[in-house]
Amino acid sequence: MRLGRVNLTLSDRRGLLSLGGESPLSWRERFIRFPWSLFLLLVILASVGFVILYSAVGGEDNIRLLFRQMARFGVGLVIMLVLGLMGGEKIYRRYAYLFYGITLALLIAVFFAGTIGMGARRWLSIGGFLLQPSELMKVALIMALARYYHDRSATMRLGSEDLAIPLVMIAVPAAFIMKQPDLGTAIMVIAVGAVIMVVAGLSWQLIVGAITVFGASFPLAWNLLHDYQRRRITTLFFPEQDPLGAGYHIIQSKIAIGSGGVTGKGFMGGSQSHLDFLPERHTDFIFSVLAEEWGFLGGMALLLLYGLIIFRTLIIATQANDRYGVLVSVGMTSLFAFQVLVNIGMVIGLLPVVGIPLPFVSYGGSSLLTLMMAMGFSAHISLYSKHHGRSV
Amino acid sequence: MLDDEHERFQVDAQRRLWLIGGGLLGGFSILGGRLFYLQVMKGGEYRNLAENNRISLQPISAPRGRIFDRNGQILVDNRPDFRLAVTPELAGDFLGLIDRLQPIINLSEGQRNAIFKRLHKQRSFLPLQIKSHLTWEEVSRIEAQIHTFPGVTIQVQSIRDYPQGVSAAHLLGYIGEVNERDEQIFPAIHFRSGDSVGKSGMERQYEKELRGREGVREMEVNATGRQIRELRKGPPRPGQDLKLTIDLGLQQAAEAALAGQSGAVVALDPRNGRVLAMASQPSYDPNQFIRGFSSEEWKTLISDPDRPLGNKAIQGQYPPGSTFKMVVALAAMAEGKMDDKEHFYCPGHIIREKHKFYCWRRAGHGQVGLVQALAQSCDVFFYKLAEKVGIDAIERQARRLGLGDVTNIGMAGEGAGLVPSRSWKRAIQGIVWYPGETLITAIGQGYLLATPLQMANMIAAIANGGTVYRPTLVDWAEDELPEVLQWGRINESHLALVKKGLEEVVHGRAGTAKRSKSEWVRTAGKTGTSQVVRHKRKESGMIIKSDNDRHKDHALYVSYAPASPTEEAQLALAVVIEHGGHGSSAAAPVAKKLIDYYFAPPGERDTGSKPDEVGESELDAVG
Repeated sequence: MRLGRVNLTLSDRRGLLSLGGESPLSWRERFIRFPWSLFLLLVILASVGFVILYSAVGGEDNIRLLFRQMARFGVGLVIMLVLGLMGGEKIYRRYAYLFYGITLALLIAVFFAGTIGMGARRWLSIGGFLLQPSELMKVALIMALARYYHDRSATMRLGSEDLAIPLVMIAVPAAFIMKQPDLGTAIMVIAVGAVIMVVAGLSWQLIVGAITVFGASFPLAWNLLHDYQRRRITTLFFPEQDPLGAGYHIIQSKIAIGSGGVTGKGFMGGSQSHLDFLPERHTDFIFSVLAEEWGFLGGMALLLLYGLIIFRTLIIATQANDRYGVLVSVGMTSLFAFQVLVNIGMVIGLLPVVGIPLPFVSYGGSSLLTLMMAMGFSAHISLYSKHHGRSV
Repeated sequence: MLDDEHERFQVDAQRRLWLIGGGLLGGFSILGGRLFYLQVMKGGEYRNLAENNRISLQPISAPRGRIFDRNGQILVDNRPDFRLAVTPELAGDFLGLIDRLQPIINLSEGQRNAIFKRLHKQRSFLPLQIKSHLTWEEVSRIEAQIHTFPGVTIQVQSIRDYPQGVSAAHLLGYIGEVNERDEQIFPAIHFRSGDSVGKSGMERQYEKELRGREGVREMEVNATGRQIRELRKGPPRPGQDLKLTIDLGLQQAAEAALAGQSGAVVALDPRNGRVLAMASQPSYDPNQFIRGFSSEEWKTLISDPDRPLGNKAIQGQYPPGSTFKMVVALAAMAEGKMDDKEHFYCPGHIIREKHKFYCWRRAGHGQVGLVQALAQSCDVFFYKLAEKVGIDAIERQARRLGLGDVTNIGMAGEGAGLVPSRSWKRAIQGIVWYPGETLITAIGQGYLLATPLQMANMIAAIANGGTVYRPTLVDWAEDELPEVLQWGRINESHLALVKKGLEEVVHGRAGTAKRSKSEWVRTAGKTGTSQVVRHKRKESGMIIKSDNDRHKDHALYVSYAPASPTEEAQLALAVVIEHGGHGSSAAAPVAKKLIDYYFAPPGERDTGSKPDEVGESELDAVG
């Protein structure tokens, strides 16, 4: 049993929790190699987020919401440090399938026994804690796919089964998440999976072929839909058709952002944000608050901050020592980047409103903790990067 | 081999990674570009939108002007109306709450359904109106246990109140919700949907003065319409109060005298044309237009053959009957066709062109002069006089006394009456005027029509020496001169003779209104009976009485008082009782009651119904 080996290594004094034959990194080395610049960028981002959140929740009156978010971030930082610093060589790769399997089981359990909230069945109540398996699945899928391609590429070139099997690995959880329904997370899972498949080294013919088949099936599926289903999709993409319903959020959000102008209305000065015009203003639509109060300059500054973080995590991917490391870190990077793109895209009216929070800024715990896990895994890759000659 | 493979992957992966990175950069560039578009290029436009978003202009209704009688008695008032409203958001269990309120407010099934329908249309933090026009008992019962009714409020709203009820209802009119026609009639007023507007009577005539100008409150609101705070307030300008020339006591005396009958009374001040009373019966309660009718009540009201909604004083047009005889007499004297010595013999009828023209008195009046002919209302005298005078002179004299044209008193729907002439008949019927038609015109029948207001104005002109004033209802200012329609151009001696005849009507031994002498003042008058249907007669000339009450003649009486050579007349009035029978028995007693009321020394007045001295107590706003 592998669990037995875990117990065995717990008593290994040279490297707590580390596994594998080669000599583990010393704590000193781990601290030196830890990507502190990424850590710092995240702390800055979260701090900016707190300022925006303070305004979005309405200031002093709801300060407890801010404190709660700060506490969550604190927990998140611990998770990142633990995952990044304490993981030994190859350990995450070894347990990737197990992690994926358990998460998938939880996801299926949600389907049958989940807690319903806000019109969707997303949560699983385990010992008083509400667990959202779809969030865990984002990370688990990245690790499982990375493990798959890592194992395959060691022996042979990638073939068409290397397209098919990962597609199944992606499609099954995506289908369950879609069913909850949580369209945003499902799209996120699929998009991140697709990035890993591209970077894994599938031949371009296969990729183009897959895209072609996928694209060709769209008109077919469209014809099979009922009228009301089509209508639901068209309002998703053309919210202006329904200005008092689905379109309302996006119209108000655009007014808030546009009225911010170049320099914004100042901290706590956003009329749209503070007069309840803006729905979900401390969660999914928090970017509108920033853009209204800090203007174009504030918005661009936040984009720049996100860009730096993405750039920093992408660097980790380029420096990863093996295929698993590359794929995991690019997966985590794209998970983070896609959430930023989709959230801001929907808030500024470029993408349909699907319910994706803005990383490290939106109020809420699930997404934050997932991203902190992702950052932790990325940091772990960084510890064992090429320069250090270690395999993860 | 493995290293080669790994090396190859490394190179390939680097390429693909930067491809992904490039894609992400592209995505971020699009976001940045979009932000630039929204905030820098379209910023001003959205800033405007944002401003509109947060300011909601709310009207503050202006209190509508009140209406008083000449003595300051209130005729039309505003009063608070108590309404029960529930804020569904605060109520929690809305259905349960309504069920618990049910024993107090007794909603009908229909009302409940209407409430539930509105419940789903309205935002749940806005109060939903459950019931209006709460009684005091309902208000106090709800207030007593208001803490057990979450979300329940009693709202107070100003509504129109007609404290005199059915009294002067036609004159005052009522208000209702504005419709398209109203908007065309008052192009200068900017109505909003749901606004109230005068629908008839004074309420409509003086809409512009009464309504005032609504104020506006600029409220900062959030996206759902919830009010945050007041930004600015433009106070409303209250409507102007209106003081009428009506004397409420006289008005109510008139209504009491008419009670149970269908008819109208108009009382004027002959010195200036001011309307002292204008009553039309049966009447209606204008408060019902504010409360709302049930379909049953409405059906009853509009299908009543006595037309309670119509103002008979200005809309009712009746043949003036014998009251017209004074016109014929004046015409004859003005034409020089008669002097005070003129006498005719009345055998009870005359025959012209094979037609018998009867006097009302079969036996005839014998030899009569003008005074007796007026006093006893001899028909044959006026047949013969009319033959001498001719229709043209009669028509001229009638118009000189204000008949045949609207007075423009300032109320919608006023009837013009009708004074026939040769040219009129040719134009309308295309045939010539027959001499016989002159005869029946002379006794106020045939084509002739006049409204009670015109008849009152006619007798007022006779009382004041011949001046026809435009009747007015509004007491504007002390120094405002009355408007004159016809200056007095009646020879004084002619007038004196007619007046003598009119006095004999009341005070002569054979006068037709001798039983209606006033206790307090000497009066003059003229009875009239106007035919509704052509009477069937026996060979002997006796009228065969119809059994149908609706075929009974209208009873008329015009009068003025005091009738004295030294004193100016202060009151002129016309009474019409539809299907009342004879003027002497049905209409003259009504006039007597009014005159008695008006001239009785203080303390001796018997109005039949006392004016409401207390009025509506001022209600403190509750809740």
